[in-house]
Amino acid sequence: MTRLLEFTLNGRDRTDAVADNILLLDFLREKVGLTGTKTGCDGGECGACTVLIDDKPALSCLTIAATVQGRRVDTIESLGTDGQLSAVQRGFHEKLGSQCGYCTPGFIMASAGLLRKIPNPNEAEIIEALGSNICRCTGYVKIIEAVKYAAALNAQGVAP
Amino acid sequence: MNKIVPAHNIGGYVPMIDGPEKVSGRAKYTADILHPGMLAGRIYRSPYSHGEIVAVDVSEALKVPGVRAIVTGADCDKAFGVLPIARTEYPLARDRVRYRGEPVAAVAAVDDASAREALRRIKLTVRELPAYYTSKAALAPGAVQLHEKKPGNVERDVLFELGSAEQGFAQADLVREGTYNCAEVCQNQMEMHAAVAEYDAVRERMTVHASTQVPYYVHLMLSQILGMEMSRIRVIKPHVGGGFGCRTETLAIELIAALLARNCNGTVRLVTTREETFITHRGRPETDIKLKIGMRKDGRIKAVECECDQRGGAHSGYGVVTILYAGSMLYAIYDLHNVKYTGRRVLTNTPPCGAFRGHGTVDIRFAFESLVDELAAELGLDPFAVRRANLLQAPTFTDNDMMVNSYGLPECMDWVEKESGWARRKGKMPKGHGISKGLGMACSHYISGASKPVNWTGEPHATVKIKLDFDGSIVVLSGAADIGQGSTTILAQTVAEVLGLDLSRVRVVTGDSEVVPKDNGSYSSRVTFMVGNAALDAARNLKSVLVSAAARKLEARPEDIECLGELYRAGAQDKGATFDEVVAEALKDSGTITVTGNYSTTPESHGGKKYRGSAIGGTMGYSYSAQVVEVTVDEETGVVTVDRVWVAHDCGKALNRLTVEGQVQGSVWMGMGQAMSEEAAYHDGLMLTANMLDYRVPTIQDSPPIEVGIVESMDPHGPFGAKEAGEGSLAAFLPALTNAIADAIGIRFNDLPVTPDRVFEAIEKRRLALGKNNGGA
Amino acid sequence: MDALPDFRVLNPATLDEALAVRAAHPGSMALGGGTDLVVNIRRGIVAPPVLIDMNRVAELSAIKADANTLEIGASVRLTALVENPAIVQHYPALAQAASRVAGPTQRNMGTVGGNLCLDTRCIFYNQSEWWRDANSHCLKTTGSVCHVAPKSRGVCFATFSGDLAPALLALGAEVDIAGPAGKRSIPLDKLYIGFARQDVPVTETQGDGKYFLSLRSGEIVTAVRVTNTPGLRSAYDKIRIRKSIEYPVAGVAVALRRADDMLADLRVAFTGTNPRPILLEGTAELCGGKFGERVFKGLDALVRDQIMPMKTTFTPGHYRRRVAGVLARRLLTRLFET
Repeated sequence: MTRLLEFTLNGRDRTDAVADNILLLDFLREKVGLTGTKTGCDGGECGACTVLIDDKPALSCLTIAATVQGRRVDTIESLGTDGQLSAVQRGFHEKLGSQCGYCTPGFIMASAGLLRKIPNPNEAEIIEALGSNICRCTGYVKIIEAVKYAAALNAQGVAP
Repeated sequence: MNKIVPAHNIGGYVPMIDGPEKVSGRAKYTADILHPGMLAGRIYRSPYSHGEIVAVDVSEALKVPGVRAIVTGADCDKAFGVLPIARTEYPLARDRVRYRGEPVAAVAAVDDASAREALRRIKLTVRELPAYYTSKAALAPGAVQLHEKKPGNVERDVLFELGSAEQGFAQADLVREGTYNCAEVCQNQMEMHAAVAEYDAVRERMTVHASTQVPYYVHLMLSQILGMEMSRIRVIKPHVGGGFGCRTETLAIELIAALLARNCNGTVRLVTTREETFITHRGRPETDIKLKIGMRKDGRIKAVECECDQRGGAHSGYGVVTILYAGSMLYAIYDLHNVKYTGRRVLTNTPPCGAFRGHGTVDIRFAFESLVDELAAELGLDPFAVRRANLLQAPTFTDNDMMVNSYGLPECMDWVEKESGWARRKGKMPKGHGISKGLGMACSHYISGASKPVNWTGEPHATVKIKLDFDGSIVVLSGAADIGQGSTTILAQTVAEVLGLDLSRVRVVTGDSEVVPKDNGSYSSRVTFMVGNAALDAARNLKSVLVSAAARKLEARPEDIECLGELYRAGAQDKGATFDEVVAEALKDSGTITVTGNYSTTPESHGGKKYRGSAIGGTMGYSYSAQVVEVTVDEETGVVTVDRVWVAHDCGKALNRLTVEGQVQGSVWMGMGQAMSEEAAYHDGLMLTANMLDYRVPTIQDSPPIEVGIVESMDPHGPFGAKEAGEGSLAAFLPALTNAIADAIGIRFNDLPVTPDRVFEAIEKRRLALGKNNGGA
Repeated sequence: MDALPDFRVLNPATLDEALAVRAAHPGSMALGGGTDLVVNIRRGIVAPPVLIDMNRVAELSAIKADANTLEIGASVRLTALVENPAIVQHYPALAQAASRVAGPTQRNMGTVGGNLCLDTRCIFYNQSEWWRDANSHCLKTTGSVCHVAPKSRGVCFATFSGDLAPALLALGAEVDIAGPAGKRSIPLDKLYIGFARQDVPVTETQGDGKYFLSLRSGEIVTAVRVTNTPGLRSAYDKIRIRKSIEYPVAGVAVALRRADDMLADLRVAFTGTNPRPILLEGTAELCGGKFGERVFKGLDALVRDQIMPMKTTFTPGHYRRRVAGVLARRLLTRLFET
């Protein structure tokens, strides 16, 4: 079965012919070509595929694309304005929250979701919010620093 | 007038130069490559542990619409393997399957659904053989041999005795022995293995994009497996999502993708599942260790005897090197004599192990630092004191001829002792009400690249090229694979530092065999040291070209030219020439400027000839690490929480403090995973934990603050004094943890991982034993 | 790119529509957050031809909570429970249980209905198609042997691991069920039939790890309801090897009322140990009398008799049972003394 799916992707409304049995992850990567969202496991165990659906972090690898009808989906490619990095992106870059970079889009989207909900999170809230994402490089220490820094930038008016 | 000074690029906190791509989702990894018309590849894997292949029937699979190619062992009779002496593995099994999950056939189809359907229709018939899942079973008399040339299923045995262990033990006041078991662990890097192979049938050329740490090895193996001239092969390494050693070897993945692509004259993308990535393995083998140490009352170690069995899996992989490292790296951290080592690398019907971060050294270090603590306690010595009683004096050569030129271990110990408040807190940690805290420490070390490369060709160990043209940008060409450790950034910093230029002038091109010089790869922590030195050499060569040009332009002698980066001048009063003017002058001679930088290790660093395989462990510079771990043990549930870690790492000189800290934290944390929760377990040879739920990589909520102290011992041979920073701190975590648990609850754990059920059981066992004793009294 | 088996997705807007399409497609399955079902589809464990997306069914998305009663629609997300002040205040065990499910992103997706009907789990079951095929499958799928207990004579021991069920069992919840024959309500305890008894055949009231819910063909859990008891204190805790993402090694909910120095009421429920969440029987006998060692010993005995973890997880069963008892004792003490 194929349907016409209407939804908002990275701020733009679109209509796509979408098979019922395709994951949002594969639809974004293979059909739209937004490969920033990563596949890291065989289903829901690593967080690399995290996107925002209506501003809330969601695992695109466990989301059937056909279920996002009418919803707002934001991927890593939506962040940043005027070619500049967003606050969270700057945090991960400047504080080395990203090493190999593979888990990074997932972490950044989970962090962006956190800052949309709690603009100035404390350390416990950061650790709580990133509990669904696995990073194999950093030991997370600098990821926590990255999100704290992003929150500080956010307070200065840099979009998360 | 603004004072012009050379830009400084070394020693600060420098974000990675490829960071913006990674944080914006623009960085392309192999699986992100999309070509129109690309085919989907999938691998059929053996469901059997051990058997002679009777037939691989693909006739039904070929009938699936959309299938474009199916390859089996019949399509390739060349074996591959990282060590020229141990090539037993075929991209697709021939004659025999030796582990559950071994690739047997592969399909390329127009889409993934067709490829999967074809896999369902492949029929493998085997005559089953007995299978061995433990070292013990494989070594048992009468066991069927996995490989014809390996009697007793021993891939390699190692034996050396330097000095006399017997005499050493006789001089000791206390001799103790321990047995240790470390579970098998996997790298489990975040990016699953992937390859895209593109065969150009018109030109008979193959291009392979591979998620590898060593594009050069992939190039060699592709040539061998495909029977193609190397000049017809191009290897591209896109961004790589970590490796930690499993991508040091060429994997069946890239070879199978290439076989499929050539078979159908097309482009094939082969992306494995997480389960397949686990089964492809090349992790750290399950290791059984028996260790005996003799110590004098003052803490001086007089003798060491060590037996080590590694369950290597069905093929050698790096195995020979791993079992050698385990022995040789007993040395070069403490002043040891009278050491006897017996090692066996065992072949079993499990996926092949390989080189995992801290290659060969980690499990042995766990045993050693555990037993040293036990002896210290019995002798009433402080854990720091006992290690200080056994320090080396650099420069020196160890008994097994390892060259130690810089040695920051004492300073590492000082730092963690002070920062953790050890003197004040050790032995006084809060106890009781079922919750007990403890402190433990341990040390470890690692090499900065193996001094002798795996493929000895007589060429320099590392070569870097720099190109400079009319645009004035410095383009560094290197084959060193950045897999997230930041090597590209280090090369840019190194070159910028020598030329006194801002980092923004420098671009680094890596990862395409068509463009960059060959490199021996990103493993054994060789890149900063060896490629860094080559970059240093190249930058100095470029500088001398520019200085000559500046001298001509300014009508001065080259030795009078002062390089300020963006300005070259002959003396402080000279107005000088700008960098761009100097470049324009230099180009007049030769057009586009290219310079080469090389680096080779010195022969003294290659290890001696005292035993077979004694080159393994030889390096130009050892890094050192000391750690203190603070834990809380919940004695009612067995749950252990790591509250904080203090780690000091001697990296010679921190070229980039940000990435050094990141590497050290990452290693410590990876050690924590191995020590506390990670384990590759099997059910009759089927990996039970081949997913990220059951293979328990710590989450952010399990991970402690890790405070990093950087010790700079200024190695005489390292670039700007630098040594490795990415591996040496892993091993010390394991014993520091169990030493801390012993401090908290008085129970030693010699088996890893220390999971809550193991802690619970040990506490219960002690409770029952105490109860019995009390009852009897 | 991960090719999924062919299926259709239907998006009903009302409960009646949902029930109608459910009745029209006998092999269909209800899709909530997908954190359990989609994983199983990806692993080839189930291949429903039709998925009914329950997330747009308006009637199932509400929380009505105050000090006296609680009603939660089946499509409510777990995060919503954690963030609801009335639930946090009046039904703390439920808020705590919801806050400990998997990780935060899974909780944004996972639903109350999905967690209550969470498929049972086993190391021989939650594996890829290739893996299960190489291992000759198992009772819970198409095989003829239970690899956990090869002599189990047709009984599956897969373990129930949902976190909400024990909390709601301790709170005395009822579930609302809708199906082709209309609506019915049953005590939550009756939803779970994974008794895994080897001496009786599987029936609508006696099941095992495979047949673990008493839902009849075409039925859907639509809501869960609780009537509060004044003075009831409750809490939930669980052990897992990692602090996030994981299923419980063992989870425990305790609800009690205290009258002076005595227990007036005690309910204790477990998850992660048996093919069904266990509401401990016999706790009434621990009430009355002086609170102390007698109660703890009695509780231990009940746990020993009724909690039976098998080797369905990587963590040994012995430990899971013992630690379940430890958690129960701790929660009991904490609730009694606060």
